[in-house]
Amino acid sequence: MSVWNWLRSRIARVAVWRRRDRDAEVERELEAHLELESEEQRDSGVPPEEARHAARRAFGNTTRVQEDVREIWSAIWLERFARDVRYAARSLRKSPGFAAVAILTLALGIGANTAIFSAIDALMLRPLPFTAADQLVRIYSIQKGMFNTFANPDGPSALDVRDFAQRSRSFQNMVAYDTWAKNVSFGESAGRPEQMEVGLVPAAYFEILGIRPIIGRLFSEDENEEGKNYVAAISAQLWRNRFDDDPSVLGRKIRINGEAYSIVAVMPNVIPAWVEPGRHSEIWTPFPYSPDMWAESGRGERGYAALARLKPGVSVEQAQADLSVIAAALAAEHPVDEGVGVAVKRLADSRVGALRPMLYLLMGAVSLILLIACVNLANLLLARNSARQRELAVRAALGAGRGGLVRQLLAETLLLSLIGGAVGFGCAEIGLTALARMHPENLPQLSSVGIDWRVLTFTLLVSLVTSLLFGLAPAFMGTRLNLVDALKQGGRSGMSGRSSQRVRSLLVITEMAMCLMLVVGASLLIRSIIRLEGQNLGIRQDHLLRGRIYLPPVRYSNPGVRTRFCDDFGTRVRAVPGVMGATVTTVYPPNNGWTQMLVIPGHPVTRLQDVPTAQFGVVDQHFLRTLGIPLIRGRDFAEPDSATSPPVALISKEFKRRYFATEDPIGRKIHIGPPQLPGIAVEENITDDVDVTIIGIIDDFKNAGLAHAPQPQITVLYSQHPLVNGGFKDILVRTASEPHAVESEIRSQLRALDSDVPLAEVQTIDELVERSTGGRRFTTVLLASFAVAGLALAVVGIYGVVSSLVAQRKQEMAVRMALGASHGNVLWLVLKHGLKMAVIGAAIGLCGAWAAQKFTAGLLYGISPLDPLTFAGAPVFLLAVAAIACAIPGARVLQIDPAQALRHD
Amino acid sequence: MPTNKTPNRTELLQGTLDMLILRTLLFGPAHGHQIAKHIQRTTDEVLQVEHGSLYPALHRMERKGWIVAKWEMAKDRNREFKYYRLTPGGKKQLVREQSRWKQLAAAVATVLRPVRGD
Repeated sequence: MSVWNWLRSRIARVAVWRRRDRDAEVERELEAHLELESEEQRDSGVPPEEARHAARRAFGNTTRVQEDVREIWSAIWLERFARDVRYAARSLRKSPGFAAVAILTLALGIGANTAIFSAIDALMLRPLPFTAADQLVRIYSIQKGMFNTFANPDGPSALDVRDFAQRSRSFQNMVAYDTWAKNVSFGESAGRPEQMEVGLVPAAYFEILGIRPIIGRLFSEDENEEGKNYVAAISAQLWRNRFDDDPSVLGRKIRINGEAYSIVAVMPNVIPAWVEPGRHSEIWTPFPYSPDMWAESGRGERGYAALARLKPGVSVEQAQADLSVIAAALAAEHPVDEGVGVAVKRLADSRVGALRPMLYLLMGAVSLILLIACVNLANLLLARNSARQRELAVRAALGAGRGGLVRQLLAETLLLSLIGGAVGFGCAEIGLTALARMHPENLPQLSSVGIDWRVLTFTLLVSLVTSLLFGLAPAFMGTRLNLVDALKQGGRSGMSGRSSQRVRSLLVITEMAMCLMLVVGASLLIRSIIRLEGQNLGIRQDHLLRGRIYLPPVRYSNPGVRTRFCDDFGTRVRAVPGVMGATVTTVYPPNNGWTQMLVIPGHPVTRLQDVPTAQFGVVDQHFLRTLGIPLIRGRDFAEPDSATSPPVALISKEFKRRYFATEDPIGRKIHIGPPQLPGIAVEENITDDVDVTIIGIIDDFKNAGLAHAPQPQITVLYSQHPLVNGGFKDILVRTASEPHAVESEIRSQLRALDSDVPLAEVQTIDELVERSTGGRRFTTVLLASFAVAGLALAVVGIYGVVSSLVAQRKQEMAVRMALGASHGNVLWLVLKHGLKMAVIGAAIGLCGAWAAQKFTAGLLYGISPLDPLTFAGAPVFLLAVAAIACAIPGARVLQIDPAQALRHD
Repeated sequence: MPTNKTPNRTELLQGTLDMLILRTLLFGPAHGHQIAKHIQRTTDEVLQVEHGSLYPALHRMERKGWIVAKWEMAKDRNREFKYYRLTPGGKKQLVREQSRWKQLAAAVATVLRPVRGD
């Protein structure tokens, strides 16, 4: 860098020196010539004084000659260009306000677009890191009106996938796989365990993705059989972190759920987290197909992830048609498949999942910002150049060629764009860092996004074209203009003042319209996120910590042992100082538990679709007290309810409303488990086919996710239901002060019970809620900042138009005031113009926002996309801001002294 | 047709001035004033050499290497002038320009050939 600077200064100095030298020489040459000329004149008898004048006259413009000569010697266009740039820099420095606003406008447009499009490119446009990735598809089950209440695409069952694979002709290979959270410890000894996601994958999973191990081998076919499955593949990341890239890692053991698996392969870090159904896996083991997995009763057990590779030349549509026929056949053969369809989706399209519409919204919003920025730039340049008409005319009169003028405006425009681009690049860097920091849980890819140079180039080009279009058009018009006219117009600067004013007004109206759309969108999103997060979960939400444990079946095969462990754990935690209460449970808001089929007296059913269902939770006796869920009638679980006493249940208000609308449910018995329907083998639910007695009604709580109304809830004791007393449990702890303060004490209590069971996913309920709204908040924050940016740009736009209006019509105002108009009248004249633009813009913007409702509808919660308050408030807000932006330059009217202003012209 | 008494001043074609200057310098070194005067005299004042064209042309040819310049004392006056002289490259250029000029003149003459009955 310093060498370059030195070199440049050297070259510059030499160039300057040589130029000065030559200038002097040319002058001397011309001077000598001139002398000779006048001597000759004198010789022919002309008086000396007159002779000299005559010589000069004959000679013409010496400066012009000097310039021409200089031009010949200079490295012509380069030096001329440098001169233009220097000149441009000087003229920009002379109007710092214009330069700053123009550069900021450009920077904002370029920066925001580069950041967002870089992110979007990385999230959903960039090709997948797999060979022939366009052949990769996912297969989903679509269940219409069945047990999946929320209409999300769900995974098929293993049997479905087997039949799809056997009967279809569109695929090279197809695989069902899954991930599970498991307790993992490294090394031979049982070290401190962690809960990690473990992928359960047949070798075909890697084959379909086209991934070879770095070292080691893929799983063999018989390793998919139960008992032979104690082999594991680890990621290169894990290899580095835990084994220091040691090649002798093959054959080493890791303990998963208390059992030893030997490492047979290290896989490259190419599988993105979103390919796996749970969170990111670093360990994969074979998918042990138990013999009963292929029994027909497993057909309804959906939820596996399914991946397939299309045959070359087969389109997704063909594959979809192929599988749809098969799915229809399966539905006809197996009643449990009735109403179950299939969907084939490109793997690449599944990467951002539910956030896709939000990203599209952001893309739209940020494009609006670029548009507004360009409009603003156009506006600024128009204003500046029409104000400079006179300067240009003077220059032309002094002999500047038209080419020179255009060249100079071009240099100014380019300089602006380049500085704007550079600042924009900085903005994009900052923006991306901020994006990565916001880091919504469901977009882990975001942390590795870098600036996309293509996007930067694109946005730079767009703004450059805009600058050229609006920076040079007036230059062409301007240089063609009649010099005399422009000079005669005097103070009233501006060619065709009226038409340029009209163009600028149109631009401001456009800005206002786009800005209003952004404001409406942002406020709708902000209001829905406030609603979403401010919702009453139906529990006391503060000071509530949760953690997850998993009791592996190897050592906890007996439900009685599991019950004892959970009871002991709860008792120990309740004894920790600072803990007000604790409960071990499988259900807590806002998460959904699992949906359970029931048999309720008085609700006879003949069809699977009509079977009563409820959200189901197994808990201990401290559930209500710890969460703070009010008991409405009846009694809570109590000490006497034990494994040996009759099973009891609590139902929610919604449950009563739906299934016991008129009768008193307390004391009634219901059956937990599916009804006996002819011809239907339902193994859909984990169930213990037992009757429970309803002992109490509790208040509703959010049991189906934040964005959905509470569903019917039934809650039972795990001690009384051995078959649903599984290994996964959560502990919820109510604390007196900061919840995380007791975390380490809870861990040590758990370690005291079993050092091989880790406490995972420790977070407060507040954090859980916040995380589950992370994606929305991310979009909202971005959209809000776009709205603010758009607003700022629009304010600058309207301010600029009004202030140049004031400047142009100063004389007119002065005349009006001299003739008796009050200050107020004149001020209104100015404000009227500004507000008219704002009103028209706002009206158009409202139409735009109305038209955009179908894009926003899916992203909102608890608020209509045509929310009247927002649709009324946003324009009022915009008009208020516009009024202020007009009033500031408008106030200058008040300072007009008519006498002075009139004399001035 | 202009009817004023001064001889018609004809604008020189681009490149023609170069040729005339080179041709003038064929007789020996000369400074700008001499070159201009020489051209005017030899064409009976038909061709006026504007200073505004002469000096840029001289410098252009100097830059192209057809002529070189040196400050020398004039023999008749006690003053230094910038004398230009032809280089070998300049001589070649002159030959080229002359042949091109002849071609051009011949071509124009063909077009302007008197028509029968004229």
